Amino acid sequence: MMKNSKIYFLLILVIFGGLTLSLCYIQALEGTVNISAKVEGCGNGIIEGGEQCDADGSNGPCPATCSTSCTTNSCGGGGGGGGGTYIPPLVVTQVIFSGRAYPKSTVTLLKDAQISATTIAGSDANFSITLSGLSGGNYIFSVYSEDNKGIRSSLLTFPVSVTSGATTKVSGIFISPTIAVDKSEVKRGDNIAIFGQSAPQADIVISVSSEEEFFAKTISDKEGIYLHNFDTTVLDYGLHNTKSKASIGNLAVSSFSRVISFKVGTITVLKEKPEISKGDLNNDNKVNLVDFSIAAYWYKRPISAEFAIKEAERLNGDGKVDLVDFSIMAYYWTG
Amino acid sequence: MQKSKLQFKIKNYFFAVSVIFALLLIAVPVFAAEIYFKTDSTTVRPGDPLEVLVSLNTEKEDINAVEGTVLFPDDILKLENINEANSILTFWPEKPRVYDGNKIKFAGITPGGYQEKTGLLFSITFQAKKEGAGIIEIKDSRVLLNDGQGTPTDVKTPNFQFSIFKEAPISKSQILVSKEDKDQPEEFKPEIAQSPEMFEGKYFLVFATQDKGSGIDHYEVCEGSKKKCVIAESPYLLQNQELNQEIFVKAVDKSGNERVVTIPAQKPLPWYKNYFVIAILIIGLIIAGAILRKILWQRFIKSR
Repeated sequence: MMKNSKIYFLLILVIFGGLTLSLCYIQALEGTVNISAKVEGCGNGIIEGGEQCDADGSNGPCPATCSTSCTTNSCGGGGGGGGGTYIPPLVVTQVIFSGRAYPKSTVTLLKDAQISATTIAGSDANFSITLSGLSGGNYIFSVYSEDNKGIRSSLLTFPVSVTSGATTKVSGIFISPTIAVDKSEVKRGDNIAIFGQSAPQADIVISVSSEEEFFAKTISDKEGIYLHNFDTTVLDYGLHNTKSKASIGNLAVSSFSRVISFKVGTITVLKEKPEISKGDLNNDNKVNLVDFSIAAYWYKRPISAEFAIKEAERLNGDGKVDLVDFSIMAYYWTG
Repeated sequence: MQKSKLQFKIKNYFFAVSVIFALLLIAVPVFAAEIYFKTDSTTVRPGDPLEVLVSLNTEKEDINAVEGTVLFPDDILKLENINEANSILTFWPEKPRVYDGNKIKFAGITPGGYQEKTGLLFSITFQAKKEGAGIIEIKDSRVLLNDGQGTPTDVKTPNFQFSIFKEAPISKSQILVSKEDKDQPEEFKPEIAQSPEMFEGKYFLVFATQDKGSGIDHYEVCEGSKKKCVIAESPYLLQNQELNQEIFVKAVDKSGNERVVTIPAQKPLPWYKNYFVIAILIIGLIIAGAILRKILWQRFIKSR
């Protein structure tokens, strides 16, 4: 009787074990829905074909045990007595970026126009990003940030020549403020609110331009938020552009923000929904390689009626895809 | 009478010269971007390489798109290689490629803009065929501002003059030993996308990377297995629209270094179509059956 119960137990264990294993595997398969990519090759921490070792970011010359080409380093050693052995410092090719964004904002770093890192700025708006695993050569790095309302700054771009085995520091980055207005059309003589976010306690210069350029000044609060009610009495009827820039003391000055426009007319129309994102051809609120590829598909060929609607809405609306459309896309690029 | 005529002429000349000088003084300097050629030497020997860097001087303008056509005399120059490594242009609506034997068309963008004097667009390596003199020029060029509207800016395109003769000094590009490129292409992240406006709404793959050493030679896409690869360009229409298999994208540089990126299956097979799950179930059933058989056999023996 005892023996039988043991066998029953074993039987149940095997059946349940088999089913659990199957279910776990099925669940694991069904759980894989997000698009993600695994990078293979030297420096990924996995020893693959043709590699003797791979210590992830610790690959390098002696004293590291694994070289940058994933071969085992012969670091000498052994041999006794006599003079000391020179151990060169660990050399890594990396770039360190530091600067100011907005308090607790997300800062995105692009390497050659593709997202390579993100970080969160501190409450003082300062951020720092270290990027390693680079080759020696010329790179185009860009940074942008997103404010507390989800509005993105313009891209701040800097070409950097990276030397293999050296650390390059890019400091003093000051991301331009974000900017928005509360009205798409404002009755002449009424105020229009121009607002956005920058570093805390920064001097903000707002430019409103048409034929003549007007400037206004304000200071951002401790959250980096600024607001200026601009009196439109001085403006003519028609379309006007506004942009802003920030400075702290005389040392740190940001570049100008994105340019946004509003109309001065006879009625006031509040801005309701967010504007259609220029350059975003697949409606994912990003402008990146996917959008570039969609536009490239139609480059210098007759566009379909379906795409013509999108081209009119999100590109320059001339019924064709050429360099001008790509330039618009490059301006609104998010990676 | 003659004296007064002479005085009148002198006065006229004086007036004209004054006007010209005044115009020169008040003339506002006009900035224009410049696409120019940069090289180590303007003279080469027949059979020698001639490397020409096609570069951009933005002249303080913020530029994000450039296009043009390079024309070269193919009777005295043989095109050996076009290299986009280290270019300021990160994406190419039209990669620099040769047309009609002597034209290289290109169109590229640099997201976020560029504002420097020595931006490399791409390099061209020629081989001098025979003695002679010639020019390399740029036609149909367009340089656009990073202003969100694609506003064109003025562009200067000075020609590059060169000569080929036997007594020419040995060019630096021939003396310099080219650095061996052992680095893989840069890391990248291909994406599967879908758009109703292209490929009839079917899934396609987009990918792009750079190689700082020798430049990207080509990409390969392998669907399901690393052994089933095809040379591909982005955007690539996926053959397996079910997205139930892994996809491997291989970037190969001009020195033969490779980087492979794996995209997991987006819509894996349902469990009843998965051989591994079925195999586990069958093995489990066989073991369970064997145990059951043993139990029943033991009962049968006991009952006897």
